[in-house]
Amino acid sequence: MDNLTLALTLLLAGFTIVFLVLILLIIVITVYGKIIQAAQKSSEKRKAKKIEQAAPAAASPEAAVPEVLPANNDEIPGEIIAVIAAAVDAVYGNKPHKIKAVRRSRSARSSWGNAGVAQNTRPF
Amino acid sequence: MDIFNQLGSIIVGLFQSSGLTSLSWENYVMILISFVLMFLAIKKQYEPLLLLPIAFGMMLVNIFPGIMANPVNQMMTYEQVIAQGLDPASYTTSSQLMTLEQLKTAGFDPTLYHLVTLKDGSQFYEVIYYNVTANGGLFYYLYQGVHLGIFPPLIFLGIGAMTDFGPLIANPKSFILGAAAQIGIFLTFIGAILLGFAPHEAGSIAIIGGADGPTAIFVTSQLAPEMLGPIAVAAYSYMALVPIIQPPIMKLLTTKKERSIVMGQLRPVSKLEKVLFPIVVVVLVALLLPDAAPLVGMLMLGNLFKESGVVERISKTAQNELMNIVTIFLGITVGATASGTLFLNFKTLGIIALGLIAFCLGTACGVLFGKIMCWATKGKVNPLIGSAGVSAVPMAARISQKVGQEENPANFLLMHAMGPNVAGVIGSAVAAGVLISVLK
Repeated sequence: MDNLTLALTLLLAGFTIVFLVLILLIIVITVYGKIIQAAQKSSEKRKAKKIEQAAPAAASPEAAVPEVLPANNDEIPGEIIAVIAAAVDAVYGNKPHKIKAVRRSRSARSSWGNAGVAQNTRPF
Repeated sequence: MDIFNQLGSIIVGLFQSSGLTSLSWENYVMILISFVLMFLAIKKQYEPLLLLPIAFGMMLVNIFPGIMANPVNQMMTYEQVIAQGLDPASYTTSSQLMTLEQLKTAGFDPTLYHLVTLKDGSQFYEVIYYNVTANGGLFYYLYQGVHLGIFPPLIFLGIGAMTDFGPLIANPKSFILGAAAQIGIFLTFIGAILLGFAPHEAGSIAIIGGADGPTAIFVTSQLAPEMLGPIAVAAYSYMALVPIIQPPIMKLLTTKKERSIVMGQLRPVSKLEKVLFPIVVVVLVALLLPDAAPLVGMLMLGNLFKESGVVERISKTAQNELMNIVTIFLGITVGATASGTLFLNFKTLGIIALGLIAFCLGTACGVLFGKIMCWATKGKVNPLIGSAGVSAVPMAARISQKVGQEENPANFLLMHAMGPNVAGVIGSAVAAGVLISVLK
């Protein structure tokens, strides 16, 4: 009977503690999520204004892609160029940028090999 | 002729020291069970990463129990050393002075020992002891990682480095479902007490309902180490059986209309939120519940490695090499705790039955709370994601996705179910902390 009391106490205690801890986490995460979102929105607005002032003629990546096509000797399919343009956009983000040409790199090692070498030789 | 005699005695000696003469029937039964588990791991691919080493460890320890033997550190008299067939010259000695009465009560023959007269004139017999030591078996040493609670937190480090808490950050209310699925643990605890298990044993059985292997092993190693074998086997078996156990319960508790609810897309989560998340969780949980700190702390450390993006190499090591090495050691040594006499008794049957009940109750509580959330949000939450609140990452979330898609093929619940799923990992670690702090 003593053990049963312990079991019931544990049920109540466990239920309460697990829920309390997790509800506390909900509150904290919701609050800081809102704060961070608000902070980032305001900083993005500021950035956007700056970019507009500094480079009004900056081409958007979508506009850059059709320009690229003539510079490419038809060897590279359009889909690949779209992917490369997207990757360039992901890296440069809001900074003004323009793709002038897409050319296949001629290297003794394959790009996978290069990636492997880079990974193993990069300092800790 | 001498050669033949020696050859004969060597062969007889080998036979006598082999398992054929020393093993009991329980060992043979366990070897057969290990064969079945190996079959399930290899042919059916039931959690093979763990079940295979567990089954092999189980087989090895039942063929050669010495592999799990404790190291020996014994004091022996000269006669005992000779009787054991050992060489007295190879051990260090220590001596003890005894009176004649003490010598007689210890059953030693006074004529064998020196009589020493001290300065005050009192006389004692000097008994010489040999410090006979022997190393333990291989698995004894590897098992220390489980016994001392080292391996499960290391596995959590790897899990943390592999987990994306994004869906949970985007929808923090998922934490409720992760908590609800832990109610099964505490309900099962009552069941185990009613079946006559001692409280510390009942706690270890109940944690199977958390559906989290490392957590179950961690709690059991702290509360009832002697039950580690059956509990680990039950926990991992049920995790492998999630696709069979969960769907009937989920369908039973929900209506067709509820199952076809389509949930809106999750908001994108920024990197800063993801980096802050592990730190915030550790600070809160470890402050409130120090017993959960080893598990939650390592889980979140691994996650911080991943999300910070500055220690890619460490993050990779934690999720691959380190995790694999620890998994091997954890698997074989947990399997090696399942020696015949410990495994083959009625307690094991109770553990396996109660473990299943715990698992089902956890799933049911998750789905029921999912229904409550569905009602509270006026039908915006699909209750099927509640069953993912039992950890078993990512299997339980995939089941939510599958069952949801049976009703509405265009419904994608997977990311919504990942929220409760990873919340379940944190929830079961918190529940483990509660069990340890109350029962230890």
